[in-house]
Amino acid sequence: MQTVKLAAIPAAFSSSCFMFRPVTKTLGLISRRNHSQKPPFRLLARAFSAPALQTIDTTDNKGGVAVKPQWKAAIDFKWIRDNKEAVSANIRNRNSNANLELVLELYEKMLNVQKEVDRLREERNAVANKMKGKLEPSERQKLIEEGKNLKEGLVTLEEDLVKLTDELQQEAQCIPNMTHPDVPVGGEDCSIIRKTVGNPSVFNFPVKDHFQLGKALDIFDFDAAAEVSGSKFYYLKNEAVMLEMGLINWTLSEVIKRGFTPLTTPEIVRSSVVEKCGFQPRGANTQVYSIEGADQCLIGTAEIPVGGIHMDSILSESLLPLKYAAFSHCFRTEAGAAGTATRGLYRVHQFSKLEMFVFCQPEESDSYHEELIRIEEDLYSSLGLHFKLLLFLAEL
Amino acid sequence: MQTVKLAAIPAAFSSSCFMFRPVTKTLGLISRRNHSQKPPFRLLARAFSAPALQTIDTTDNKGGVAVKPQWKAAIDFKWIRDNKEAVSANIRNRNSNANLELVLELYEKMLNVQKEVDRLREERNAVANKMKGKLEPSERQKLIEEGKNLKEGLVTLEEDLVKLTDELQQEAQCIPNMTHPDVPVGGEDCSIIRKTVGNPSVFNFPVKDHFQLGKALDIFDFDAAAEVSGSKFYYLKNEAVMLEMGLINWTLSEVIKRGFTPLTTPEIVRSSVVEKCGFQPRGANTQVYSIEGTDQCLIGTAEIPVGGIHMDSILSESLLPLKYAAFSHCFRTEAGAAGTATRGLYRVHQFSKLEMFIFCQPEESDSYHEELIRIEEDLYSSLGLHFKTVDMATEDLGAPAYRKFDVEAWMPGLGRYGEISSASNCTDYQSRRLGIRYRPSQPSSTNTKKGKGPTRFVHTLNATACAIPRMIICLLENYQQEDGSVIIPEPLRPFMGGLERISPKCS
Repeated sequence: MQTVKLAAIPAAFSSSCFMFRPVTKTLGLISRRNHSQKPPFRLLARAFSAPALQTIDTTDNKGGVAVKPQWKAAIDFKWIRDNKEAVSANIRNRNSNANLELVLELYEKMLNVQKEVDRLREERNAVANKMKGKLEPSERQKLIEEGKNLKEGLVTLEEDLVKLTDELQQEAQCIPNMTHPDVPVGGEDCSIIRKTVGNPSVFNFPVKDHFQLGKALDIFDFDAAAEVSGSKFYYLKNEAVMLEMGLINWTLSEVIKRGFTPLTTPEIVRSSVVEKCGFQPRGANTQVYSIEGADQCLIGTAEIPVGGIHMDSILSESLLPLKYAAFSHCFRTEAGAAGTATRGLYRVHQFSKLEMFVFCQPEESDSYHEELIRIEEDLYSSLGLHFKLLLFLAEL
Repeated sequence: MQTVKLAAIPAAFSSSCFMFRPVTKTLGLISRRNHSQKPPFRLLARAFSAPALQTIDTTDNKGGVAVKPQWKAAIDFKWIRDNKEAVSANIRNRNSNANLELVLELYEKMLNVQKEVDRLREERNAVANKMKGKLEPSERQKLIEEGKNLKEGLVTLEEDLVKLTDELQQEAQCIPNMTHPDVPVGGEDCSIIRKTVGNPSVFNFPVKDHFQLGKALDIFDFDAAAEVSGSKFYYLKNEAVMLEMGLINWTLSEVIKRGFTPLTTPEIVRSSVVEKCGFQPRGANTQVYSIEGTDQCLIGTAEIPVGGIHMDSILSESLLPLKYAAFSHCFRTEAGAAGTATRGLYRVHQFSKLEMFIFCQPEESDSYHEELIRIEEDLYSSLGLHFKTVDMATEDLGAPAYRKFDVEAWMPGLGRYGEISSASNCTDYQSRRLGIRYRPSQPSSTNTKKGKGPTRFVHTLNATACAIPRMIICLLENYQQEDGSVIIPEPLRPFMGGLERISPKCS
């Protein structure tokens, strides 16, 4: 695969300190509203965007200790400034806690300080050049003084620039992605049903849930798993193992036919990669398990290690689109979901999943989105399932 | 499944405090000796038996803080005492750090204190009985005094008993399993080759190692994984994914035919279960990843969650033997193995494995051990691999293993034999810690009060059916063709959509 690796994001700012604000907003998954129509459960939890938290401290730490940052997002501040109404409306629609005014304010400040820094550097270079020629001792002395003052002024300004840049990053990382114009605005009850396939099956005998069925068929064990590991863990036995393997094998062959490259991925990843994908490894009620004594986490989805495959790279256009079908085990703490007591396989800490992931050119992402949902509909129809397709609301 | 759950091991002692001694011995895997014949690498790391460490403190803490113990092993002290020479010789042969003298000393002390406690309790009961009748006030007063003294004496003694019991547990848990008489005594070079199958393949072109082959075939990515996760991580791509799935599917169908129940298991388990199986989650250089903020770990092998399935249970004899084939991902820190720089799939932090596990009656474990190694030999022969089966010498046995057979397959690209599987008979070492017993069926002539006879501990065995990365190494290196393509062995083809060959991609 032809990729060019970049050393780091060529940011205009070279900073080394971040001030971190703790995650104050809970994961979107946790606060479930009650509706007359039972809301579907969300498979994927996404925290509201908040910057990487370096410590487990949850007090408001605005004026606190500066910690070495791990990474920077290449945010287009100019675009945000030039589209501030749209960005602001989007933030409102998504119920996000991002502070746009502050971002714009910091951006302006930073630009001004940058301008000043550039000006002072120019002057200092001019002074340095003047000193190359022949000068009277008194003139030379004056220039030396001037050079020294400029240098001191620069040092202070450069420190300010670093602080501003970091604060700007921190605030700007909270800004959520823009939204497709067709997405309904509002809460869960505003989602639109795009499509319905099939009908609920009709049974002429009393219907059992999967937990009852599985027990009678001797294909699960939740009790032993509760002893060995804790609640929401399980063993699959006998035909359930064949079912898992059959599902994976079949789905994989179906997506390979459609041009996806099969992959298996690491399930332990650096926590920075988790953050860059938009998850919160260290937020309160995080979905993410962390490894003790390491800056590593367990993945909650193969999306994370697949997104990371091309980290810090420039891909040649001819390679796109890149379509991967990644198989992995997924691990989720399901913190905060304890109240939603659903027995059985509905909400578990560990499960197998095959995930499709596409890297493409910007103009093509809408159509690849349509392709992906079509593939999913085809797969589930083939299995004879009855389902509905929802267009998601802006708040999630 | 008919099992009766036990609340806890009905120990004679009810204690609640453990004094922990830190793990002073490094994992057997780490200290590798250099031999003229390149030593094969061990797949499974077992630390020398040492009790559970509650803190990460590594200073010698003999007189230190008492910490609440998590569990007790049902150790047969009487048997140890009655067979002390054999136990002592075994400890020496295995190069173990167990202190047998101390164990026996503590056991004697404990028995004496127990006797004294029983005696005082009897006396106290006698005094209590006397006080029930009609008595003179002065007599009653005397008895009350006596009762009080006895009570105080008892309290002190009972505290001593608890401390002794805990210390005894701690020391005794270090004693490794006994050893099969046929096992060679000594280090790696004393291991005996039981069987050799096939011959090293002959190539009429320069042989490549799996890392080179895989890169050219575009079926691995180690570089991206190093960025995303760190060294010793990898992505499998394209045909390597099909190869993993084919190997698992094929192996699973083969062992199901042989009576094994397929299972998938949790990969996060309580650390106490890890300890009960004979591993050291918190030792220095531990192989075990721990989850932050919990008392949980990632499994290094499905042996752990499978052993735990029947924790604290009494199984009916009719259920035995229980034979499981468990598929899981396995996670190992490989701490201390950093020096052994082998690139590629040889030593990695995460891999897929199908593991066979048997619970059986004690008299049958030797023959099930033979059955397990035979299954492994059949599987690897079917895939056309050249390998030798080795009876591992005493110093290379982990604490739980009574006997261990390793299969070492020829890896032409690496130019040596590499361990691809391991089959261990753990007899009752794990079951005494996990609390797994069975009730032998009673002959009709015996008529005990409730129709229940005494229970016995089961024996447990485990064996690798398929460890994916090492198998991929073997298949790639042995089946490589001059043009860099790799032939898929026949048995796997139906499980890989008929794929016959992995070919280089046009780039």
